Amino acid sequence: MQSTHDELEPAVRIRDLKKDRVNFVLENVDLAFANSLRRVMMADLPTIAIDLVEIQANTTVLPDEFIAHRLGMVPLVSTNCDEGMRDNRDCTCLAACQYCSIQLKLDVACHNNTTMDITSNHLEVSSYNDYEEGVEGEAGDEPTKRGEYFGHPVGKNDPDVPPILICKIRKGQELKLRCIAKKGIAKEHAKWSPCSAVSFEYDPHNKLRHTTHWFETDERGEWPLGENASEEEKPRDDEVFDFNAKPNKFYFEVETDGSLGPQEVVMQGLAELQSKLAKIVLGLKKTEPDMLPGERVEETAPVDAWGTGAGAGWGGEGGGNAGWGSTSPRGAATNAWGGGGWSSPTQAGTAGWSV
Amino acid sequence: MNAPNRHEAFVLEDNEKALEVTEDTKIPNAATFKIVKQDHTVGNMLRAQLLAMPEILFAGYKVPHPLHPYFLIKIQTDGTVTPQAVLEQACTKLIGTMSALEGKFKREFSFKDGETHGGAVGMSNMGAEDPYGAGGGGAWSSQRDYLDF
Repeated sequence: MQSTHDELEPAVRIRDLKKDRVNFVLENVDLAFANSLRRVMMADLPTIAIDLVEIQANTTVLPDEFIAHRLGMVPLVSTNCDEGMRDNRDCTCLAACQYCSIQLKLDVACHNNTTMDITSNHLEVSSYNDYEEGVEGEAGDEPTKRGEYFGHPVGKNDPDVPPILICKIRKGQELKLRCIAKKGIAKEHAKWSPCSAVSFEYDPHNKLRHTTHWFETDERGEWPLGENASEEEKPRDDEVFDFNAKPNKFYFEVETDGSLGPQEVVMQGLAELQSKLAKIVLGLKKTEPDMLPGERVEETAPVDAWGTGAGAGWGGEGGGNAGWGSTSPRGAATNAWGGGGWSSPTQAGTAGWSV
Repeated sequence: MNAPNRHEAFVLEDNEKALEVTEDTKIPNAATFKIVKQDHTVGNMLRAQLLAMPEILFAGYKVPHPLHPYFLIKIQTDGTVTPQAVLEQACTKLIGTMSALEGKFKREFSFKDGETHGGAVGMSNMGAEDPYGAGGGGAWSSQRDYLDF
């Protein structure tokens, strides 16, 4: 049960960093930890993406829904989106305002005899200025935390980045629309994922036998080693299978779609995991919601929480039991945990506690 | 139609508790925690961390149904600590590991920063180019333009 790398500090080494990807080796952590990091980077980081499309004119060959869907998939620069934008759900505005959304407009018509491409480069961020007072949400400092190109399509007018094709039009066709981009996470819709791919590999030599290699005649010949194999020692031919071994070196490749940089993805991923855990700690402390102030009791107080004597349940053995385990006479789950350091509201002031 | 809103998978509703505890009536020092609006990301990591702690006799988690946004984690301890305390310790320890990792990542990224910058995809020549991305495709013969009919 004990992992061998319990006492070892986690270590990380970045092997390669590009503007849209990072490759790193994570050591001395659990497989579950590495997988949680992967999952959180894929699905839990906020970015912005087009969520509402108001089509004013569409004479292209593609139907409105088709175009709206394509627009949603366009990655928008979302640096510091966590602070730079408020959740549209929580905003007090009527529909969308400058604090909880970005407005983008597109107005293209073809007037010449060549097929024209409507691309993400035609999307122009436009500020909200035609709003009467009171319609927008409570004032905040979110817009000041945004970068210069916040909300712009990724790679807009950068000659090295080919634009994203939305539709092709011919002479006489036009497309005019207004988009509202909102903040969200990929659990709601994959368009909000900052990552196009996150992968990790461990145990390139398959020493742990977490997989079985199918082969015809020669396993080594038919399963060529990847480049990560050079990081680890080759198994000897006579090596005995160590069934207690655990993976502890993980080769990550994080590839972003450009809405967030790879550094921001990794750092925010860790921060997001921490906040998820912090919520659980907070939840644990709040299991007694109506606790009276001053009723705090030391964590290790070897007192039976119910004041009814240890007979109520298991409380008998182990003085350090601190009230744990006695079946609640009231059966209410939230009240059952008197021992954890908080007295339950119904117990406050009754026998058993010297305040 | 009657599909629930998708954000309900990760946003706590008003008056909804993030965590509920149910003590086990048949096993000593055991409890089941219902952690709402969280999934395998936290569940599996917590389970692994709990199993690595010496006080733990049992730790397991499950997501009872993929459409129900909560998971259950069952913990039994050897009696020296309560399941709540041990769960809190596990969370704190994981948070500690992560903040240690954060520092290491920061260092590593600052070393690599000199070589390439890790910001969002370059936005250098904003507005320099024609926004009409120079239409591809060949010209049609101008005589056969349908608008002229």
